[in-house]
Amino acid sequence: MLLVVAAMTAWVVPGSAAVTTRAYLFPPAVARSTPPCDRTHSSLRPAGPPRVTPGSFMAKIRAHHRLIAGVSEYTYPFGFFNPLDGRVEGFEIDIVHAIAKAIFGNPNKVEFKAISDAQRIPEVQSGAVDIVAHTMTILCDRLKSVDFSTVYFHAGAQVLVLKNSPVKSLADLRGKKVCATTLSDSLGYIKTAHAIPVPVTNFTDCLMLLQQDDVAAISTDDNILAGLQAQDPWTKIVGKVFSSEPYGLAISKMHPDFVRFVNAVLQQMRTDGQWAADYRRWVGTRVPAPPPAKYKA
Amino acid sequence: MTAVTDRPRHALPAVRHSVRATTTPAKLRLLLIGLVSLCLIWGVVAAWVVSQRASGANDVASTSETLSLDGQQIYRALSDADATAASAFLSGGLEPINGPPRYQADIALAAAHLESATAAAGHSAAAADLARLSAGLPVYTGEIQTARADNRLGYPLGAAYLREASNLMRGTLLPAARNISAEANVRLAGASGRATGLPLPLVLLVAAAIVGFALYCAQRWLFRRTHRRLNTGLVVASVAGLVSLLWLGIALGVARADLLQARTHGSTPVAALAQADIAALRARADESLTLIDAQGDDSFQADFVTVQHRLGPGPGTLLTDAVMAARGSPAADLAGVAAATATTWYGVHRTVRSLDDNGKHNQAILLVTGPGPGHSGTLFTRLDGSLFRAIAADQTVFQRHATAGSNAFIGLEVGVIVLALIMAAGCARGLTTRLAEYR
Repeated sequence: MLLVVAAMTAWVVPGSAAVTTRAYLFPPAVARSTPPCDRTHSSLRPAGPPRVTPGSFMAKIRAHHRLIAGVSEYTYPFGFFNPLDGRVEGFEIDIVHAIAKAIFGNPNKVEFKAISDAQRIPEVQSGAVDIVAHTMTILCDRLKSVDFSTVYFHAGAQVLVLKNSPVKSLADLRGKKVCATTLSDSLGYIKTAHAIPVPVTNFTDCLMLLQQDDVAAISTDDNILAGLQAQDPWTKIVGKVFSSEPYGLAISKMHPDFVRFVNAVLQQMRTDGQWAADYRRWVGTRVPAPPPAKYKA
Repeated sequence: MTAVTDRPRHALPAVRHSVRATTTPAKLRLLLIGLVSLCLIWGVVAAWVVSQRASGANDVASTSETLSLDGQQIYRALSDADATAASAFLSGGLEPINGPPRYQADIALAAAHLESATAAAGHSAAAADLARLSAGLPVYTGEIQTARADNRLGYPLGAAYLREASNLMRGTLLPAARNISAEANVRLAGASGRATGLPLPLVLLVAAAIVGFALYCAQRWLFRRTHRRLNTGLVVASVAGLVSLLWLGIALGVARADLLQARTHGSTPVAALAQADIAALRARADESLTLIDAQGDDSFQADFVTVQHRLGPGPGTLLTDAVMAARGSPAADLAGVAAATATTWYGVHRTVRSLDDNGKHNQAILLVTGPGPGHSGTLFTRLDGSLFRAIAADQTVFQRHATAGSNAFIGLEVGVIVLALIMAAGCARGLTTRLAEYR
């Protein structure tokens, strides 16, 4: 079953975020629990260039003097706390800075709130954060709880093992311990492959467990695995990409005006080359075309 | 019925006559055996009581207190190491100038106390906790070193190792260190009870009364029978008995007074101060961890508040208890300083939290790690330093009194045995001389 899915989604090669021209097949773990939905055509069309209109949610954010963003401090290089300068940095962090700049004219008017994977939806729903930028895959289940921006990065799940490991794919990990974060969709894939899922808080915890030989592998999105590999060269990414993970910024369903605003900012970043500059700075020098914006009909 | 009650009174002695020695020599022989046995029994009882008291006093002065103090020191050093490691990470970029040396000194101190505690513990209940500490400490330091190496590369993996290390510290190592102190304090209370409790001297007093009464009756009886005013042997025995009673009374009294002093102005305030210090260290670690914590929940702040309520000052809190316990001891002033500093510190901590909650994370970190006079770190150092010096001051008091208390027993055990032998010899000599007069 898994192999079939892997084969069907294998054409999503790592880094080829541009290949998003049609809706994806859903991985079995997700498809079973949700009715089909169009994950990539799920966002709201912007009304034009980003503009803070009176009475809008953006005006409210302005009144609070800062944008509050729920981010990861552990997902190198997308959102991480840099111990050398004591700042939160990364690909997603720069997108949040761009949104702050569109609201305030100042990219630094942001409060970064470190949250775990499991807290992403509750934090958005409770209004504790204005936006979540946290390697968050747009899933049909999640679309019921929160709104997403258009896709800003396209990932796919793979497997990370130690360099001397004989494992070649998730299928080789049947009955072995495989690490992923709590409530991430990666845990579902691990269960489907009949491996033993080991849930932790952050993916760096997974790398620690791998280094201490407590788990046989880590399975999650290729970009996150590449970030872990950068922190430990004695690891390798194996197997084909076996899922499709379009990332969106999560926003409360109460603020459709903010969703449109953020989509306008993302569209600007796609066209003025900032997305590409951002990608080159954090992800890699071979920069693909940005994922195209797709909106609800 | 009336016949029984009206039976002549002389009938009763007639019955007893058959079992008692009838002649004076026979009575003397019986008296000889009785008195010599009584004196020897007295010696055994007195020596046993003395050995119980002396071993209790010795246990108070050396083993239990050493172990309790080692446990406290291990807890202090490890807790400080963890807080130092956490705040070194917080500062970002260069670690605070005194970060690594302080951490290393803490670990070295913990290892030294771990070794001396292991030597003192033997097979006591603390042995399992000490083994847990010995096994866990290298794992902890290994994780901290990995965290530091990863931090230097600018990777977030370091924070994961730091949190793992901190979990090991707070979940396993610190509770083990706390157990050692708790076990030792239970043992200390037991030893102190053995060394100062009243039942043992009461046993001694009853035994002395029996022996004294027997000697008195024997001499009165001899005086009436033989019309000689003095029996040298029995007089010597009586004098030896009095001397041993006097010695016992003075030594036991002095030791008890000293050990009670050691408890009131020594171990009791030390234990109260140490508990307060342990709570303060925990709150400080919480304060640092609230700023690193990426879980997004408030568990460390919640723990800080819980510990703050336990620490005080305020009625029924650890600091107030420590101030009360230290009253009249050299630590009194220092305990007062600690209580006042704690209140100021909580105020600064509230500022830290409000800065952090309002997006001023870096200012919050500066307030926690900075060296300025109004900074949280400075205030905590004063709080912790006051408690530490207070513990040291009362510890000196404890050692002085406990040593004096156990010194009071020097030579006493041998002394009472020798005196009891003299008593027995005196009785034997005195009565055999009389017996010889009948041959």
